[in-house]
Amino acid sequence: MEVTMDPLFLAWSYLRRRKLQQCSDICSKILQDSPYDQAAWSLKTRALTEMVYVDEVEVDQEGIAEMMLDESSIAQVARPGTSLRLPGTSQGGGPTPAVRPMTQSGRPITGFVRPNTQSGRPGTMEQAIKTPRTASTARPVTSASGRFIRLGTASMLTNPDGPFINLSRLNLAKYSKKPNMSRTLFEFIFHHENDVKNALDLAAQATEHAQFKDWWWKVQLGKCYYRLGLYREAEKQFRSALNHQEVVDTFLYLAKVYQRLDQPITALNLFKQGLDHFPGEVTLLTGIARIHEEMNNISSATEYYKDVLKQDNTHVEAIACIGSNHFYTDQPEIALRFYRRLLQMGVYNCQLYNNLGLCCFYAQQYDMTLSSFERALTLANNDEEQADVWYNIGHVGVGIGDLTLAYQCFKLALAFNNDHAEAYNNLAVLELRKGRIEQSKAFLQTAASLAPHMYEPHFNLSILSEKIGDLQSSYTAAQKSEDAFPEHVDTQQLLKQLRQHFAVL
Amino acid sequence: MSESSGNGGKWLDAHYDPVAGLFTFSPCVDLADLSGDGESRLVVGDLGSGSTGMKLKVFRGTALLSESTLLDLPAGLVAFFMDLHEPRIPAVAVASGPCVYVYKNLRPYFKFTLPGLEVNSLEQDVWQQAREGQIDPLTLKEMLESIRKKADVPLSMRSLRFLSLETDDMDDFVQLHKQQPIRRQTVITCIGTLKKSTADDDGVSCLVIGTESSDVYVLDPEAFVILSKMSLPAAPTMMDVTGQFDVEFRITVACRDGNIYVLRRELDKPKYCIKLSSHPVGLVRVGKNVMVGCTDESLQGFTQKGKKLWRTVLAAPITTMAAMDLPTRGFQAVLVGLANCEVQLYRDKNLLSTIKTPDVVTSICFGRYGREDGTLIMTTKGGGLMVKILKRTAVFDDRDGAPGPPLAQSVRLNVPKKTKLYVDQTLRERENGLAMHRAFQMDLSRMRLTAAKAYVKALESSLAPVSSSISEPLKMNAVVQGLGPSFKLTLNVQNTAACRPATNLAISFLYDEGLYRMRNPYMRIPLLVPGLVYPVETSVECTSDKGISDIIKVFVLHEGRSCPLLTAHINMPVSEGEMLN
Repeated sequence: MEVTMDPLFLAWSYLRRRKLQQCSDICSKILQDSPYDQAAWSLKTRALTEMVYVDEVEVDQEGIAEMMLDESSIAQVARPGTSLRLPGTSQGGGPTPAVRPMTQSGRPITGFVRPNTQSGRPGTMEQAIKTPRTASTARPVTSASGRFIRLGTASMLTNPDGPFINLSRLNLAKYSKKPNMSRTLFEFIFHHENDVKNALDLAAQATEHAQFKDWWWKVQLGKCYYRLGLYREAEKQFRSALNHQEVVDTFLYLAKVYQRLDQPITALNLFKQGLDHFPGEVTLLTGIARIHEEMNNISSATEYYKDVLKQDNTHVEAIACIGSNHFYTDQPEIALRFYRRLLQMGVYNCQLYNNLGLCCFYAQQYDMTLSSFERALTLANNDEEQADVWYNIGHVGVGIGDLTLAYQCFKLALAFNNDHAEAYNNLAVLELRKGRIEQSKAFLQTAASLAPHMYEPHFNLSILSEKIGDLQSSYTAAQKSEDAFPEHVDTQQLLKQLRQHFAVL
Repeated sequence: MSESSGNGGKWLDAHYDPVAGLFTFSPCVDLADLSGDGESRLVVGDLGSGSTGMKLKVFRGTALLSESTLLDLPAGLVAFFMDLHEPRIPAVAVASGPCVYVYKNLRPYFKFTLPGLEVNSLEQDVWQQAREGQIDPLTLKEMLESIRKKADVPLSMRSLRFLSLETDDMDDFVQLHKQQPIRRQTVITCIGTLKKSTADDDGVSCLVIGTESSDVYVLDPEAFVILSKMSLPAAPTMMDVTGQFDVEFRITVACRDGNIYVLRRELDKPKYCIKLSSHPVGLVRVGKNVMVGCTDESLQGFTQKGKKLWRTVLAAPITTMAAMDLPTRGFQAVLVGLANCEVQLYRDKNLLSTIKTPDVVTSICFGRYGREDGTLIMTTKGGGLMVKILKRTAVFDDRDGAPGPPLAQSVRLNVPKKTKLYVDQTLRERENGLAMHRAFQMDLSRMRLTAAKAYVKALESSLAPVSSSISEPLKMNAVVQGLGPSFKLTLNVQNTAACRPATNLAISFLYDEGLYRMRNPYMRIPLLVPGLVYPVETSVECTSDKGISDIIKVFVLHEGRSCPLLTAHINMPVSEGEMLN
């Protein structure tokens, strides 16, 4: 005889095995029979929440509104080393853009793509609304829309017969008094329904019911305030929650608030305070490393990433960042070690093989170079990745003096990604070697307009104009190059030479 | 400013008024004891706005003492003793236009006008005919044109003005002016003073005037007659005068042709010529040497006879220069105002001290102001007036340019060490060199093939945004702007041919019509001139609210050909806008 399992237990078991859809189905069935079954109801909210749950601590994308209409920053012109907003306030002696490429915001590119590392703060509105090259979506208008809306609509699509809980008919005051249900309900409203206002109402009433002594509710209040952009209120709640109970998450949330308020030093202090309570906590260490990295302090960032690796030797971000740092400080053989470690850990994608190929080439392990690139090509998921691989093969072509191959590769990079400014720049140099000045000039102008933050196209254009005798254009281009990379000696020399030329009778 | 920084310890900040409204240059500033009470006043020829508000201003202490309107822009201003009367009160001479206005006790006293220049006799005849009504304005114009081309003596201002007129206005102009005789007038470019017979401080001085007609005149101070006339190869811009007229003198003149000429007594042509590498912006004599600031951001020193002594490169372009002379201490140096808001003090080529100023300094004057001997007066670009007093304890130590190797030589470069790993790898390379090379060569051949295949494929389907065909070399790049649902699509098309324009081109788009709506999916491109970027704009609207995006393909087509010239793929961003409301 078949023994049927208690459906509620089965649903719970499904939840634990992360078979969320089945869990939700069973709960729906139970609720059809007895609509007031609180256990099933609570379980279903949990299952639905888990389906769309994204860790709040990690993902943070700044929208245009936050960036351009920022009112919470204290000093418009911050002192060097105290702000995330000023690019080029390097103090850690990181490599120059001549060695390590820069992002649009003037920071060295990192070894690991995460929100915020990619585009940073654009200087102008026009840059802000331009689609960034590597991210395939435009910047969200505000962080309150963007990703969260997309998640919300995704859950709408899966529920054809309307929402599970009708929030407008919910008596929040009643639920806030039931601690065993209010928490799951809150998470459901916050994560699944994305209704921050109702979530805030519920949290406020619940924390009142708990006589302002429950740290969990304070953290949730802080999360709501953060989502609404009320950073100072969020800070107050998180601080108060930390007084009750020190939790790693709360430290992370609070640090996030400080980063948004552009107070990296306070965030760093907070992380260090957190580390006193939770020595060796990986997320806190990573947070410190990331802030150092964003403030151009690459050497201390690397130190902290090494600390992370001592605690967790499979931390992909740390390995990738240390690897890229070694690569850009002229030690590709060590970078190769780190990337191989990633490969051993089972990371198997186009970017990794791309990096491996480059490291092999620069570490003179030629037998591995091209096979890595071949594999990267086969693993490429989209056109942008393919363009990057071709671009790197082009570099190999330049390195071994096979300019035909290089030319073809750069052109292919452009065919796959029309906005590849670096490829335009390199192609222009090759065209110039062939003596086609007009083409070369056009490519350089395009590269300069696509990536105004790169100094190379401006500098090359300046040299080219100087050679063909167009000193005025040369001077303006050199000035742009100087803006992008003030310490570039060649630009300085060219400018000096031009100024002398203008002054001579 | 900290005491140790070098200038804070040497100067007292006596006065700074950033809104004094004083716009002037070094030649128009002088210090003189105008009332004979032993207290020096500051006399400034204010340029006003450049067209109105020219004034002669006199300051005493921090207050404006008097102000009188000038008719024209002042070119220079000097205070000088014109007679031997007691009390010894100097007169002020302001050069503006063709005249020198002399003020005594701050009241207009005398006006000296430069003698007119020789007028072309042909021109005079022509105007004579015009006055008598023998020729009409058009003939007059033709004749004047022919005179202008041939004659050695240039035309007068009136004729030049007439030639620039439109035909309609000519008649009125002739009617208005034909009765007056023709005069040719020059203007003063610089002014200086020269002691008449004694070298005393309060000795009678002659005025020395440089004019646009490349002449230098020396005027008698009492009768205002021309004592001497010298001519130069070019128009003078700055001058420095030393010596006595009756004994021996030397006039150093910087000219507009970039040369410096030295004039001496009893020679009406320059004795020496210094050829500069770029235009002079400042000329100061220190002792027997001449220091010249040039537009190539350099300061150069020359002897009286034109021998170059030294040259230093400055940090920024020079705005003005002035001498700093402290006879009580036997100290002579030159103050150089720079465009980076600094005033530097040089003795020969050695930088003695630097004064940081809040604005760019346009005029500098050093001397006795009030009862204080070492006063530095500066006016700024924004019209500010700044007065600093040299501390009596200030010492300027002469550091010679540091000999020995430069500092940078001892800085160690941060060269990363070669790691053990690297050494191991080179070992491996050495041992398996042959195999590695073979593997690489094979991979390389394969890669070349792959690249060539992909390249041919891209060329065949015109995938690239760059066309290098001989007939139509084109280039295109696309920019998407906006948040959605409307996006602005800008295609920058450029003809990269050397000289041939491209015609008969069109743009069309390929897109999912269920997702996007485009305002005009087919556009004709105008004629493309080589080298210019033509932005072609259109707007795309996303019709879906599902939060998905797609690729839009852009083709540039040639009329009558089915194959596109070039293609661009635009990865459209996800539309955000729909969710906003």
